[in-house]
Amino acid sequence: MNDRDISVRAGGWLALGLLLSALLGSVPETEASIQGRLGTDNADCLRCHRMETLAYRDPRTGDIVDLHVDSRAFGHSAHGELQCIDCHEGDFGQYPHPESALGERLDCVGCHKELHKADKRAYTFKTIDEEFALSIHATSDSPKAEGFDCHRCHDPHGFRNSEVGQPIAEIVRADNQICLSCHTKIRDPHSTAHLWLPKRDKHWTSVRCLDCHTPLTDPGQPVSHQILAGADSNFDCVNCHSKEPRLLQRLYQYRSETDLAGSGWLSKAVFNQAYVVGMSRSPLLDALGLSVIGLTLLVLIAHGWGRYRAYLRLKEDRS
Amino acid sequence: MNPIATLLDPKTKRRLIVGASVLVVLALAYRFLYPVFFDAYVGKTNAPLTYESSQPLTDAEFEALAQSLSEEARRLKAEAVVAEDQDAFARQVKIEMLMNTESFIRDSEPSHIKYFREAGIRQYEGPKTCLTCHATIEVDHPDGTRSTVDTLDDLVNSVHFKFQSAAGGFSTYGYDGRQVNAGPHKIPVGKIDRACGIPGSFTWTGWAALVESRPDHVEDGEVVLRSEGCGQCHIGGNYQPATEKMMPIGDVPSMAKEGIDCLICHATDYDMNQRVVIQDQYGLRWDQDRSLRAALTVAPISSETCLRCHQHNMGGDVYEHNAAAQSLGYKHQRLLHRGAKRGNPFSPEDDVHAAAGIQCTDCHRPEGHKIPRGRLGVDLVANDLPDKEVSCETCHGRAPHNSSENKALLNGHIARLACETCHIPRLEAENVVLRDWVHPTWDAEEGVWEPTDVYRSGEPGKGFTYLWFNGNGTFLANALGNNPNGTDTYDPLMRQVAHIDNPEVIAAVRAKAIELKERYPDIDVERYVQMATDPLSQLSPEMLDRRRAMIQANLRAAMNDGESRIYPFKLFNAMMYEDMSNQGPFGAMILPFDYATYYETGDTQAAVKRAIQDPIVQRMYQEPFKLYMMDEFMAYFGVSGGWKTIYPLVDGQLVNVEPHWMRQMGTLMVNHGIQGQGHDCADCHAPNGIMDFEQLGYAPERIAELQDPELLRQPPATETSETTEPSAP
Repeated sequence: MNDRDISVRAGGWLALGLLLSALLGSVPETEASIQGRLGTDNADCLRCHRMETLAYRDPRTGDIVDLHVDSRAFGHSAHGELQCIDCHEGDFGQYPHPESALGERLDCVGCHKELHKADKRAYTFKTIDEEFALSIHATSDSPKAEGFDCHRCHDPHGFRNSEVGQPIAEIVRADNQICLSCHTKIRDPHSTAHLWLPKRDKHWTSVRCLDCHTPLTDPGQPVSHQILAGADSNFDCVNCHSKEPRLLQRLYQYRSETDLAGSGWLSKAVFNQAYVVGMSRSPLLDALGLSVIGLTLLVLIAHGWGRYRAYLRLKEDRS
Repeated sequence: MNPIATLLDPKTKRRLIVGASVLVVLALAYRFLYPVFFDAYVGKTNAPLTYESSQPLTDAEFEALAQSLSEEARRLKAEAVVAEDQDAFARQVKIEMLMNTESFIRDSEPSHIKYFREAGIRQYEGPKTCLTCHATIEVDHPDGTRSTVDTLDDLVNSVHFKFQSAAGGFSTYGYDGRQVNAGPHKIPVGKIDRACGIPGSFTWTGWAALVESRPDHVEDGEVVLRSEGCGQCHIGGNYQPATEKMMPIGDVPSMAKEGIDCLICHATDYDMNQRVVIQDQYGLRWDQDRSLRAALTVAPISSETCLRCHQHNMGGDVYEHNAAAQSLGYKHQRLLHRGAKRGNPFSPEDDVHAAAGIQCTDCHRPEGHKIPRGRLGVDLVANDLPDKEVSCETCHGRAPHNSSENKALLNGHIARLACETCHIPRLEAENVVLRDWVHPTWDAEEGVWEPTDVYRSGEPGKGFTYLWFNGNGTFLANALGNNPNGTDTYDPLMRQVAHIDNPEVIAAVRAKAIELKERYPDIDVERYVQMATDPLSQLSPEMLDRRRAMIQANLRAAMNDGESRIYPFKLFNAMMYEDMSNQGPFGAMILPFDYATYYETGDTQAAVKRAIQDPIVQRMYQEPFKLYMMDEFMAYFGVSGGWKTIYPLVDGQLVNVEPHWMRQMGTLMVNHGIQGQGHDCADCHAPNGIMDFEQLGYAPERIAELQDPELLRQPPATETSETTEPSAP
């Protein structure tokens, strides 16, 4: 009954509104008057897409769909030299973009397969595809993992490979942020995740999630795309904390050359292939240790020098 | 000698006794002599406060009152329940039924009826009565913790009572480049000690006044007493504001605390007609509603209770939906201020949040009696919770637009525009922009001399403007921020807020000046218009150079700080008398007016003379006050060389006092009066739009892009379809 009342009332208002506007002889100004044809240069796209808050809330899921492209990060990314329309085919040259163009999905492997010499690389997209097929992200039944694609982790507009020379802490932070942007509960103040780890927070700042949550790979091979479920992951401390640690070959491979450049050959020689936790991993203790060795050496040299001087004097006296 | 023996030694014993007595004497002096000395020094009065409306009731009267309140509450609730139902008669029948329903009676009765009945309370005696049960309250903090605080202490130390703060946390920067109260020397700042051109006075000199008005409609020679003054809103029913709180030691006397008006905020049914100035043997103060009736209606805070005072500074006194302004008093009616301070009302009629039933405290979430105003503050108003966020984003999130076809583009604007920029399309027309206190106008209807509002407008570009804002402000309320392009071309203190360019505004000011000239023949119309619309023309070339240099050297860092977005700012300037011994490139110390003298005689100089004879203003011009706070105050004010204690009144004459407009307009944030439908795209993105992109520091290429007419076509469905593939139906 009430429903009908309301609709009748609404109808009445509508009629009244129409009547009024007809009487006044003016149509209310159009609410949205942006419309038009744009070019398809990156600059044309970025005219809107560089807006940091360009986004909308998907009425189906309630999630915010971010449409912002950071033009600077894009310029530095792995795809920085591409044109927007290289990947986004379809009629994006007009605003509002037609539905047909919006529905399209991108296929990384498809594109990367055709790339020049793609199959000559040590780590091909075919391998990635195979590894990913076994990943928990692909095999999980969870509705949240539905439609999981490369872009969930690798923002195509910003992704770039970690480089030798980047500070390790930064690599770890950036890398883990990718995981944590979905796995938000892990960092909840009351989270019980990873409580079994001694010094859990320390691990979080110096180890990537991937280092434990992927199968061990051979030396020289990049980290696998087969993400493991929690239960299947690496619980064995010795994999990292040992004399030939896998971690050093994976995460810390980015470090050696920086160290060489920054602290010189000596540091590399002394620290590099060592057990992850020691020397001591404390710069202060390392410096102290080194200075003790240095002092001992100095004392020895001084002693030898003294002996030599004494010998010379004795010889002089004799002659 | 062992320690006990040492203690028993007569010499030591004597020393101990002397030491203890000195401490006792000091404590007693602090407790009993200091307050007396302080009151004498600042020339303030404290006396036991009584209020006529506080009357004891007999048990029978109490029950009769309880019944009528209970029925009233029940009727309101019943009416709300059936509001949408059938016809009037059916509604009436349903209301009658509900009124006699047991659970309805129980659930709608004001809760304090039961409490008072059981506790035997038959008279409301102010804070004393409230504290009987509410001596302490639980306060929830944002980190989830809870603490118990002394209620009276909590209130007495809140901005609502003391309206100043000597703590840090100001987002205000002095013109000398220092953040206010960030250093070791902290001074009390806030409304208590800041003369301002809107009220034209200090709280000390303008706390409570009885004005003899001579309205047209009463017989010749008869006067009608009217109430005026800051105390009408600032709680505390004493003879003056809480001056004691400006010192690092000492407290407001307990008899002054007994004057706190709990009910104006906490009672649902408060009679604003009681809120008028009364005179007793000690002086003038504000009356309040201390009836048991009001006390029995105590309920959780709602927008209505806040708006009893705050609609005054938002919609304004003459705003048609200002409920408090409908009850001006049974006697000594309050004078209405015609020009509105902000002109952005919070009411269901003019604000989308109020219409949705959102209460003030839903956004301004209190912690005990401390209420946050948000992190962004431009106008040097003390803030109890400076770190607590009050923002649109808290509820609306990052992507608030959901229904428009352009929702993503609209959301895209949020990085550069505050929500208010679009969603406050205009202010009330009564919003005052230029107020001349020096040339008052006779208001025949009210029978008083009023400051002349030279220009009022609620239109964008006239009554308010758009400025970059990062949450910082200057000591004289100028929004700070910068175009994210980081260039120095954005320079509001030399341009937008120091200059009125709009020809319509200039014409209106000229018309007003011509009108004023009839009464004040000395006015040079052209010079008047120039000073009002180009206040920098009052500065000497040297001062102007110093101003430029100070902006560049001292304020650029605060402007480039953080993230700036474009916000709307209400503009305001006033012509007042200034103490020219304390002048700098941004203004001089403005002098207050005595309201009674001003309103009654229109003799503005006499009003200033009277006001600056107030003991506390005289103290301001003395060494202790100078060292305690005025030197620091002036440094923030941009006046070098410290505070000059040259008292501007000698032998009854004002010395080195000149009328001036402040050297720039003040900018007040506007955050209410929010409309669901904001500005249209074309309002800004067209040549001659409301947004002056050039003054906002954009480069010409970018302006061309922002105003590109190609972007702003009417939806031409047919035009695009010829060149594109047919899209999905």
